[in-house]
Amino acid sequence: MSVQKQALLEVRDLKTRFYTFAGVVNAVDGVSFSVGRGEILGLVGESGGGKSVIGFSILGLIDPPGKVDDGEILFGGVDLRRKSEKELQKIRGKEIAMVFQDPMTSLNPLQTVGEQIDEMLRLHSDLDGKARRARCIEMLSDVGISEAEKRLNNYPHQFSGGMRQRVVIAIAMIAGPQLIIADEPTTALDVTIQSQILKLMKQQVREREASMILITHDLAVVSQMADEIVVLYCGKIVEKGPKQDLISKPAHPYTQGLLGSIPKLHDRQDRLTQIPGTVPDVRNLPQGCNFRERCPFAQARCAEEEPEQHALDAGRSVACHFPLEQELAP
Amino acid sequence: MTAFLEVENLEQRFDVSGGPLDRLRFENGVPTMARRIVHAVNGVSFEIQRGEVLGLVGESGCGKSTVAKTIARIYRPTGGAIRVDGEDVSQYDYRKMLPVRRKVQMIFQDPFASLNPRQRVRDIVMEPMIQHAEPGDKTIEKRAMELLARVGLRPEHADRYPHQFSGGQRQRIGIARALSVDPQLVIADEPVSALDVSIQAQILNLMMDLRDEFGLSYLFITHDLSVVRHISDRIGVMYLGFMVETAPRDKLFEEPLHPYTRALLSAAPAIDPDPEAEEEIELTGEVPNAFDLPSGCCFRTRCPFAFERCSRERPVLKEAASGHQVACHLLDGET
Ligand SMILES: Nc1ncnc2c1ncn2[C@@H]1O[C@H](COP(=O)(O)OP(=O)(O)OP(=O)(O)O)[C@@H](O)[C@H]1O
Ligand SMILES: Nc1ncnc2c1ncn2[C@@H]1O[C@H](COP(=O)(O)OP(=O)(O)O)[C@@H](O)[C@H]1O
Ligand code: SF4
Ligand code: SF4
Ligand SMILES: [Mg+2]
Ligand SMILES: [Mg+2]
Repeated sequence: MSVQKQALLEVRDLKTRFYTFAGVVNAVDGVSFSVGRGEILGLVGESGGGKSVIGFSILGLIDPPGKVDDGEILFGGVDLRRKSEKELQKIRGKEIAMVFQDPMTSLNPLQTVGEQIDEMLRLHSDLDGKARRARCIEMLSDVGISEAEKRLNNYPHQFSGGMRQRVVIAIAMIAGPQLIIADEPTTALDVTIQSQILKLMKQQVREREASMILITHDLAVVSQMADEIVVLYCGKIVEKGPKQDLISKPAHPYTQGLLGSIPKLHDRQDRLTQIPGTVPDVRNLPQGCNFRERCPFAQARCAEEEPEQHALDAGRSVACHFPLEQELAP
Repeated sequence: MTAFLEVENLEQRFDVSGGPLDRLRFENGVPTMARRIVHAVNGVSFEIQRGEVLGLVGESGCGKSTVAKTIARIYRPTGGAIRVDGEDVSQYDYRKMLPVRRKVQMIFQDPFASLNPRQRVRDIVMEPMIQHAEPGDKTIEKRAMELLARVGLRPEHADRYPHQFSGGQRQRIGIARALSVDPQLVIADEPVSALDVSIQAQILNLMMDLRDEFGLSYLFITHDLSVVRHISDRIGVMYLGFMVETAPRDKLFEEPLHPYTRALLSAAPAIDPDPEAEEEIELTGEVPNAFDLPSGCCFRTRCPFAFERCSRERPVLKEAASGHQVACHLLDGET
């Protein structure tokens, strides 16, 4: 499927650490993945897995005491880690845009929505004022806001939560970025609004042939949106692969546990298959496999040796000494 | 036998007008004292049988928490009846509520905010029992320890403070506390919404086990349709402070009748998409605010099927099939 496509973003062995008083947090601990052109990649996992830190690392937005310590972030073949802050500022917004959970963190409450959309064009295009205004109106109606021309003069607080997120998407899309990083973009929204926003994001990304990294804790959302899925646990990738295969045949015990933990909407069962215990303290990870203390399949080797990522069939890979049975490809 | 809880025409309005200066308005030059009333709950009726789990779903602001807090009598209702075991408690004062509180306990979404940070876990769990026990009762402490063990905490946890626990563990403490006085009904307001999925599954399984073991009834409030389907026997769907549909769990998912329920179900993300899913109902627009309710049907501003009668007349909950009630004029035919 998307395996042969040329990668737009390639992250290699990324390590991001936070040097806190209480100890060093290996928030992202040797993560590698790639995003093809036109592809939607879902980054999933529970709280603290490192999803957001990966997003911020790609954008060069990790502040002290945090630091990207190692790895490469190849965007269109060029390592973003070698770029200066000034060069990165040009890339952010124009080439790589972002959408966060709370639209109010991305919007300025003191500026009209029109000014904020226009600012992106002023920074990243050579259009004159009149052309920019026309673009802004077009963009705002593209994201489903009616009477766009009037709405340009409104302030963010005059919009509801769902409409603010539409405005954020308009700002993200207007400079025509190749990659959109969306961190829990619908987590704060109601289901009927969430479904509108997800459809809008997918449509915008597909229409513009852009790529997206969708960060979420919600496997149901990811299974609706993504082409490829990366599952994180304690700062490491435990499994990655095409959406359908990964969801119908998880190879890693953690992925299987997560899928079993979610109540099914159409196929109700009496008990959920739960994962015992809790996520270990990131400052004090166990020897060997991070998932060992919660894993029903753990064996002696899991306590001694950390599992490495290894390839399975069909573009999939897993980091487990005893991956779950996969049907052999015919 | 009557239902354990009967709620009839429950109404909760909040006056948020503020002081006289906030309220002063001039209409055609005439000073008037404007009032701003939030219509949070507008005549909601339902029952919960002994041992039954009623799930309440709806989007944020539709009045779920207000229903919960009013039944738990954190608020006094502005209208309607709340009968617990046949006894109307809707206008009881604090003292008269005490014996009722023993039968009806509540657990909350944010386990951190709902536990006293300066109390040890042991005391948190013992507190409701102390209110109801003879002074010096020695069995209380033993029962607290038993309950902590039952919800999956270890003996050494009893002497720690809430901030030393994870979200899931705090929810376990809240559950142990609620169960300490042997309630018959537990009102749970979004008890798993703040938790990671793996922890959410642990708490849902625990709540199901406890219900079987103690013969509990739950009023289980959530905005998550997969969760409500998992846990409920019967489900009520709320919109803008109105109950628009109630039905047995599977009935609601297989044959939703109210246009809002159908839209809600088709919007819910699922890892197991329904192969026979009907045509999707996509909603446009957003929920109206609770200050000015629309005339007629509460859903008419977003309903794709709205017709003339919908703005004129407010639909009431009517029996569409056995145990399945719907508030929509379409049920009478489109005339
Ligand atoms: N500024 C910081 N200082 C110290 N540690 C941090 C900081 N930001 C993140 N971390 C740690 O890095 C790890 C990964 O955090 P991250 O925010 O990426 O998780 P996440 O997967 O996005 O979780 P969530 O689902 O809760 O958003 C966590 O252990 C977190 O505590
Ligand atoms: N104490 C209060 N004072 C004023 N308005 C309130 C109060 N509590 C709730 N409301 C309003 O009542 C409506 C229902 O709120 P709530 O019951 O919290 O909804 P839900 O729990 O379904 O999200 C909302 O419009 C909310 O703003
Ligand atoms: S490596 Fe061992 S402990 Fe880790 S997930 Fe695989 S089987 Fe379980
Ligand atoms: S009564 Fe009318 S507006 Fe209300 S849900 Fe039924 S058809 Fe729609
Ligand atoms: Mg995050
Ligand atoms: Mg609520």
